[in-house]
Amino acid sequence: MPDFLTAYSIQNWLESCPQGYLEQTQYGHAAGESEASIVLDSPKLRDQAIQSTVQLVVGERCALAASSGLINAAPDEGSKRFLATQTLDEARHVEVFTQRLLDLGVRKTELEPLIKEHANPHLVAFAEVLLEKIDKGDFVAGVVGQNIVLEGMAFTVFEMLYATNVEMNPKFAHTLSGTIADERRHVGFGENRIGSLIKEHPEKKAEIERMQKEMSFHMLATFADSFRESAPAIMEAQGILRGTNGTQAGASESRWQGRSLSTLAPEEMESLLADSVLKEFKIRLTRIGLDYQTPVAP
Amino acid sequence: MNDPLKQLSEDTPRQRFVLAETGFNEVPKKYRKFYRRWQGSGDTLALNEVLCPVCRVVIRSSREIRPGDRVYCMPCMSRLVVIRSATGHLEARVAY
Amino acid sequence: MPENHVSDIHGLEPQEFLSQVHSFEFWFESVEGYLSGRPYGHQPDTVETPLSDLERDRLITALCNYCIGETVALEGASGLIAIAPNREAKIFLATQVADEGRHLEVLLRRLTDLGVTDPETEIEKHANRSLLTFRHRLRELVEGRDWEASIFAQNVILEAMEFSVFQTHAEVADPITREILEGIVKDERRHMGFGENDLGRRLALTPHIRDRLNVLRRSLDPLVLETFEDTLSQLGISRSEHPGLGRRYLETVERLGFAS
Repeated sequence: MPDFLTAYSIQNWLESCPQGYLEQTQYGHAAGESEASIVLDSPKLRDQAIQSTVQLVVGERCALAASSGLINAAPDEGSKRFLATQTLDEARHVEVFTQRLLDLGVRKTELEPLIKEHANPHLVAFAEVLLEKIDKGDFVAGVVGQNIVLEGMAFTVFEMLYATNVEMNPKFAHTLSGTIADERRHVGFGENRIGSLIKEHPEKKAEIERMQKEMSFHMLATFADSFRESAPAIMEAQGILRGTNGTQAGASESRWQGRSLSTLAPEEMESLLADSVLKEFKIRLTRIGLDYQTPVAP
Repeated sequence: MNDPLKQLSEDTPRQRFVLAETGFNEVPKKYRKFYRRWQGSGDTLALNEVLCPVCRVVIRSSREIRPGDRVYCMPCMSRLVVIRSATGHLEARVAY
Repeated sequence: MPENHVSDIHGLEPQEFLSQVHSFEFWFESVEGYLSGRPYGHQPDTVETPLSDLERDRLITALCNYCIGETVALEGASGLIAIAPNREAKIFLATQVADEGRHLEVLLRRLTDLGVTDPETEIEKHANRSLLTFRHRLRELVEGRDWEASIFAQNVILEAMEFSVFQTHAEVADPITREILEGIVKDERRHMGFGENDLGRRLALTPHIRDRLNVLRRSLDPLVLETFEDTLSQLGISRSEHPGLGRRYLETVERLGFAS
């Protein structure tokens, strides 16, 4: 077993996750915390929260299917055991985001039809590209797709959502902070494990790079749809925040990547997110010996 | 014909029990008092207890258990219904 | 259904009970109770008992086969997530995947503590043929996306087998191995219960699958029983001293309506 995998042991996971940052939490946040009233009281903000949470559930379901599917394809016991912890992390994410839908007032009986109806078709296609590799038992492509592309995307999206919600909706921000902590391990494993495998299998590079390009296209198309549909809600939230603070993008404004999320137009937010994710992809892929492929613009 | 003994038993108020933790630690803290470890053949079940046939853990209730009651075994996640066996003892049967 | 006191767990509605127990939150709070303060499955201050060479060799052989059993369970449980019929079953299986991964890890660690420098090679050397055949059969069932047959083979047959063997072994094991095995048995309760209850509900709704599973059971029984026999001899335990070994498996299949 490669030495670095000892850091990804289940024992480490138990001590850092359930016995660490998740201790004393319920569904990822402190007991007794509830969704912010400005979200629950505004039909527009509530609908937007439901829409975006549905995409999180869809993404996490894909991650759950992918990480569990990768266990059987993993070439060594250490990777299998790390992926066992990742499988449980992903299932927890499915659970906490599903619980958020219930907290936002979705009835249990409405859950599945709602998810089916609102799942972005490009996000579904993104998942299909990845799961096809997993179904074929292609470990190298599967880990790049899952732990670099999917997790890299999730990591950045969660960070942006965290910055947006930390002032406005602390309960959701707390849920996100636990998922961000999990994603750190996942992207770390992806880079550390796959770097050596790419060197051993240079013949797989072209196919994996094609997969990255295709997945990136569907990701950008999902972002475009989401920000376009959410634009009125985003502007309403920004207005409420400015009014609540009594300032024009005052001291408590939400900042991310050096930009003020309280004043950016929705299309500027979309472009900031897309740029951040793609830059991350490029850096990570280069580190593991792959050439980043610029996706077709949606 | 109705069994007069059965009728009597159903009409008698059930005894209540105050449950305390017994050291069983395999379920979330708030549910631990509802279970205890089965000590084997020398162990006896109280009126508010029944043995899970799936995982051999003693299930406890805050009231006397009677035939027809539904009980849950959290350690193995089984739903059970209490019956009176041919030997006259209470037994839990899995209700799938 | 008789009325229950509201504060009593037994007053929950069946669907609410299943939602609670098939959740990460439930798993999380359950394992905290018996894994906290036990790195690698045992208390750090548990003292190692001196073992004779024969005892050590027997223990290593048994642990090697437990590692194979846990790898089979890890591969099986992870493969089942893709074909699980609903979200709650998927989430439960994800907790089972982490449990199986932990079992594999603590057993490998125990082998290392016993002086095994290359566990992978040692495991291969001691692998029981019947268990390897079982592994192959389970993998075929999971890859064939046959939920009922896979859950039967994995969570009823394999888990009941492990539960019985580990419980029996724990009774005669050295203190560290005993603590490790007792922790594993606590996890197996959830796995067995999930399998039996899920399958029981399905058999009640679609009794025609019983015949198919009976055929499967007959083909897997010899593999299970041979593994039992082999494990007993590895541990130096006589069959007559432990008639209970294997009984749990037989009781489970009987409750599900599969006659011997």
